[in-house]
Amino acid sequence: MGLLDKLDTIAATRETLLPEGINPFDVVIEEIHSATEGTIDGHRVVLAGTNNYLGLTFHPSCIEAARETLLSEGTGTTGSRMANGTFSGHSALEKELAIFYDCSSAIVFSTGFVTNLGAISSLAGPGDVIVLDADSHASIYDACRMSGAEMIRFRHNNMVDLEKKLSRLGPKCKNTLIIAEGIYSMLGDCAPLVEIAALKRKYGAWLMVDEAHSMGVLGEHGRGLAEAVGVEKDVDFTVGTFSKSLGSIGGYCVSNHRKLDLIRYISRSYVFTASPSPATISSVREALKVISAEPQLRIKLWENVDQLYRGLERLGFELGSDPSPIVAIRVPTKENALFAWKAILDKGIYVNLVFPPAAPAGLSLLRCSISAAHTPEQINFILKTFADLKPMMTDAI
Amino acid sequence: MTTLQYDAIFQQIEALLLEYAQLQVPIQDDTDLINDLGFDSLKLMEMLEEVEDIFDITYPLNDLSNLHTVKDFVLQIQQIVGGE
Repeated sequence: MGLLDKLDTIAATRETLLPEGINPFDVVIEEIHSATEGTIDGHRVVLAGTNNYLGLTFHPSCIEAARETLLSEGTGTTGSRMANGTFSGHSALEKELAIFYDCSSAIVFSTGFVTNLGAISSLAGPGDVIVLDADSHASIYDACRMSGAEMIRFRHNNMVDLEKKLSRLGPKCKNTLIIAEGIYSMLGDCAPLVEIAALKRKYGAWLMVDEAHSMGVLGEHGRGLAEAVGVEKDVDFTVGTFSKSLGSIGGYCVSNHRKLDLIRYISRSYVFTASPSPATISSVREALKVISAEPQLRIKLWENVDQLYRGLERLGFELGSDPSPIVAIRVPTKENALFAWKAILDKGIYVNLVFPPAAPAGLSLLRCSISAAHTPEQINFILKTFADLKPMMTDAI
Repeated sequence: MTTLQYDAIFQQIEALLLEYAQLQVPIQDDTDLINDLGFDSLKLMEMLEEVEDIFDITYPLNDLSNLHTVKDFVLQIQQIVGGE
């Protein structure tokens, strides 16, 4: 068997998509007009699958902050945080994140994905145990593998299973890191964090929460699910990303454990990758200020969520979870998902196409993500389009 | 653990494999879960949840890297049951 033979299956799967004019995984946004509009395949479309929850990619003050820094500090750092890649902006952002989260320590990484790789694989190692939710993001799974820790999976949001797994660990619990997510990225459902925190306390384990999709979305100050449900003190490590509500790219880990700072020296994805560009850091710093200064963005986001979610519910669609900025429509088969996704795009709306193995529990989904920047008219357009195409999304192909 | 216990685990695993496998072939010690039975990661995870319930064990995901054949699977379960 040759080196590349394993890719034949992928090629065959791709070939089955192309004759229908469907190539959902090679979409090019030819022009981006705003946080909610772009041009794809020559047609202007409403973007309803970009995780741009607060619409900050086009916020004037974020753009201006990035522009000024681009002119004054150049296009990149050309080095890792450990070497020449820590500018004053990186350090300032870490202090500002620590203040935002009311934590003692914060570390900035280059992406959300490498944040998880770096933080998890440094905090846990051989002899430790990681207990992770089954629906965890790929970066969490990869990080757990990298860590060398014993890796135990509990059924998605199933507290009976989590407790069973923890109770079997006995004294190893003191070396056990539980990992959950604020909002799960595919179905948009929240972790039962109050219950998880209670189990963490009961068994003396440690708790990490990935607030990638909930930062800026949940909580009085936008800190995420832990803030929203009042368990921040139980969360040992919070990780998140700059690429969703903050409208940029990068990631962070914050904690009240001062030893967090030491993982800078052992985290391979911190030491051996280039740091975020100075302009990126400036836009994130500004976006963090916007999140605090403009809580009305969160209010608008939830008004938009309500409009879309209730509308889809009234139309009789089967939705993935309770209302959240991720609204996933369950469709009967992979073929339904494929054809409906293409028809929706042809009508002028971009959503995410998700099917196994990316989707949990063998589901096929059309996944929308809502932004504070969407207008009521855009959401009505989405609802009307989905109503028109409903048979394609509900009658099994 | 005795041979009988191995056989008892094998019998329970055989039933599960036949239920979850994409391809129906006779289950033997050297049957490969992916190449012979057509398991993908999702089906494997579904089956592991049932294995955990049946044997009242925790199956660490680290063990997946050493799981190729039915014999591997039975021996892993045997070891976990013995350890717990």
